[in-house]
Amino acid sequence: MRIAAVILLAVVPLTAQWLHYPTPGVPRLPNGKPNLGAPAPRTAGHPDLSGIWQLEPVPCGPGANFAGLSGAAVGPGCGGDYGAGREFGNIGARLAGGLPYQPWAAELVKQRSADFGKDDPVAWCKPAGALRLLTFPPYRKIIQTPAVTVILSERDVTFRQILTDGRSLPKDPEPSWNGYSVGKWQADTLVVETVGFRDGTWLDRSGSPMTEAAKVTEKFRRTNFGNLEIEVTVDDPKAYTKPWTVRLHQLLVPDTELLDYYCQDNEKDAVHAVGK
Amino acid sequence: MTGFAKAAIVLMSAVATPLCAQWFKITTPGIPRTPDGKPNLSAPAPRGPDGKPLLSGIWQMNGKYLQDIAADLKPGEVPYQPWAEQLFNSRRNGAGGKNDPAARCIPGMPKLDALPYPFKIIESPGMVMMLFEGFTTFRQIFTDGRELPKDPNPAWFGYSTGKWEGDDWVVNTIGIRAETWLDNAGRPHSDALHLIERFQRRDFGHMDILLTIDDPKAYTKPWTVREDLRLIPDTELLEYVCNENNKDYEHLTGK
Repeated sequence: MRIAAVILLAVVPLTAQWLHYPTPGVPRLPNGKPNLGAPAPRTAGHPDLSGIWQLEPVPCGPGANFAGLSGAAVGPGCGGDYGAGREFGNIGARLAGGLPYQPWAAELVKQRSADFGKDDPVAWCKPAGALRLLTFPPYRKIIQTPAVTVILSERDVTFRQILTDGRSLPKDPEPSWNGYSVGKWQADTLVVETVGFRDGTWLDRSGSPMTEAAKVTEKFRRTNFGNLEIEVTVDDPKAYTKPWTVRLHQLLVPDTELLDYYCQDNEKDAVHAVGK
Repeated sequence: MTGFAKAAIVLMSAVATPLCAQWFKITTPGIPRTPDGKPNLSAPAPRGPDGKPLLSGIWQMNGKYLQDIAADLKPGEVPYQPWAEQLFNSRRNGAGGKNDPAARCIPGMPKLDALPYPFKIIESPGMVMMLFEGFTTFRQIFTDGRELPKDPNPAWFGYSTGKWEGDDWVVNTIGIRAETWLDNAGRPHSDALHLIERFQRRDFGHMDILLTIDDPKAYTKPWTVREDLRLIPDTELLEYVCNENNKDYEHLTGK
């Protein structure tokens, strides 16, 4: 029964070949390897966030618990062919005392863990939502242009827009998985505000909920060529007793390209998912 | 069920929209306007510093090409290989619609471009993105001078590169998985499919895609159709999640 929950997350095309393409504009060491400690690139007077990024993975080894589910077994290769970060399993993994759940939310997370996450929307090929697109093991690609910054996700071959053309947040947006995001630069930090989430999104594999009351603030800061810090604050008084802030540390993945990861392509797991 | 009813279901599966959708109303910056403030969609196409037309904006294709990619061709003008014609005929009136990956929420190319929902083109250095409201998915078209790969991983939308030829932006795509249908009518293709799209922005509000289907395994020679698009001003893409409430699949026929 445990195995079923783990496999849901580790499915990748068996024939996948990683693409090797030397990314233009990457500073290199004398031996040709990318110099990931070089300064962050800039464009139009701001740091350029563009690149392919991966949430810093947990080092593999005995006892590594990639899913973060209480009692879950260790996954093969700590997340299949991709390394998984701690926040993928539990977005509050590094918070002292954990996430400040409202009592009903704490109860729900307990129930979801007992069910091995069988009702996880992504187990049914539904969208991950804006924040989870930042923590999935498959890569994400950020493309920054003057009017919009786009996050392209390998998982589900989907995207999220952060509009930076000076528009305001809409008053009553259509509820959606990704919400509606606008961003503006404060010094070298892109500050993104998002509203308009729908109920029913999971923030992590443990099932931490987020409701339509949520307002999310993200601060994107590229500290050098190879590192991007995304400081995420979730203000959702329906599900949490107070706003909380976590840091998602992203590492640049040079010299490759996104692959096609389609959940719906040959999906065989959902009917085997078990739980109470 | 009658053939007509089956065809109607296939059609519905391609045009389902959230019932409660509210369109976003914003004022898109950079759009030329008439004195009353309305977008002037017959103004000249904008051009970049290199003199080439800019393609960025939200676009919508004429819906007839999703149903029938050869809608503007005369009978006999599609040069089928015998097996391809036989397969196409077997799919008449929506038969086998279950076998179209689009029924499982994977539209493929060139169907993706032809969806009736808007898509947004964003030009950035080295790459052009197409963000599709339908299926909330994207295409990347590389413009950094790279060659098409020799043996790409088969992918639902293939691998695309783009370059300018005069005022035409020419996109070459290979590596498209063979299972997808070219249109809802059921025209097939093979893994040898090479698509050539020539994006031609006629004026501010109108663009054509001259689409050539070069697939020697399925068609005896390359054939070309002209698809027309219009700019959709003063709005934003919505979120379309095919798999959220897909009730069509179980009603389609096929294996």
